[in-house]
Amino acid sequence: MRRELIISGEKINEQSLTQARAMSPGMGAAVCFVGMVRGTENGSPIAGLEYEAFKPMAEHQFHLIFDQAQSRWPLESVRLVHRLGRVPVGEASLWMEVVAPRREQAFAACQFVVSEMKRLVPIWKKPFTLA
Amino acid sequence: MLHPAVQVRVHFYSFFRDLAGQAEVSETVAPGACLEDLLQQIFSRLPNLAPLRKSALTAVGVHYQNGDYILKEGDEVSLFPPVQGG
Repeated sequence: MRRELIISGEKINEQSLTQARAMSPGMGAAVCFVGMVRGTENGSPIAGLEYEAFKPMAEHQFHLIFDQAQSRWPLESVRLVHRLGRVPVGEASLWMEVVAPRREQAFAACQFVVSEMKRLVPIWKKPFTLA
Repeated sequence: MLHPAVQVRVHFYSFFRDLAGQAEVSETVAPGACLEDLLQQIFSRLPNLAPLRKSALTAVGVHYQNGDYILKEGDEVSLFPPVQGG
């Protein structure tokens, strides 16, 4: 399985990531998930979320999750980008894509990776407002 | 035979760092001490963190570890709140 993992402060460029998609003829499904920063946190308006990671451990945990996904579904690729630092409302904090032969596999694997990330990958966020 | 004490480094992340008032601290524990022993030591020294003990996650290096993990000289321990990626 091909895997790409980027954890960085760079703005996520969805167009460029989509253009870079590679699928072999046996693959029938590419499921893409984009996590966006909402404009409220616990009912209060915010300007964005600031993300922090324990990066070496986050990378390691992501790869363990990818290993599990690979063992459960016949995936051709997983690509995941997580942004760090200040992410304004309306911008993406997470982008991921799973390529598999069939849609059920791709949807299930995508959901699995995101759910496991929220349980295991040491990334935290805190809201910020504009003064 | 007298065994030397074990020195480890403890890193705090997210709001645990704010409550600890520092990003990291060096701690010395007795030979054979486990992670739980270290946590007791830290929570008594840094009482601001103590109320969060039940929700705290612990890792050594890049691996999650439970309280019964036996500490080794030079271990890099991390202490942090539940994760919130995405």
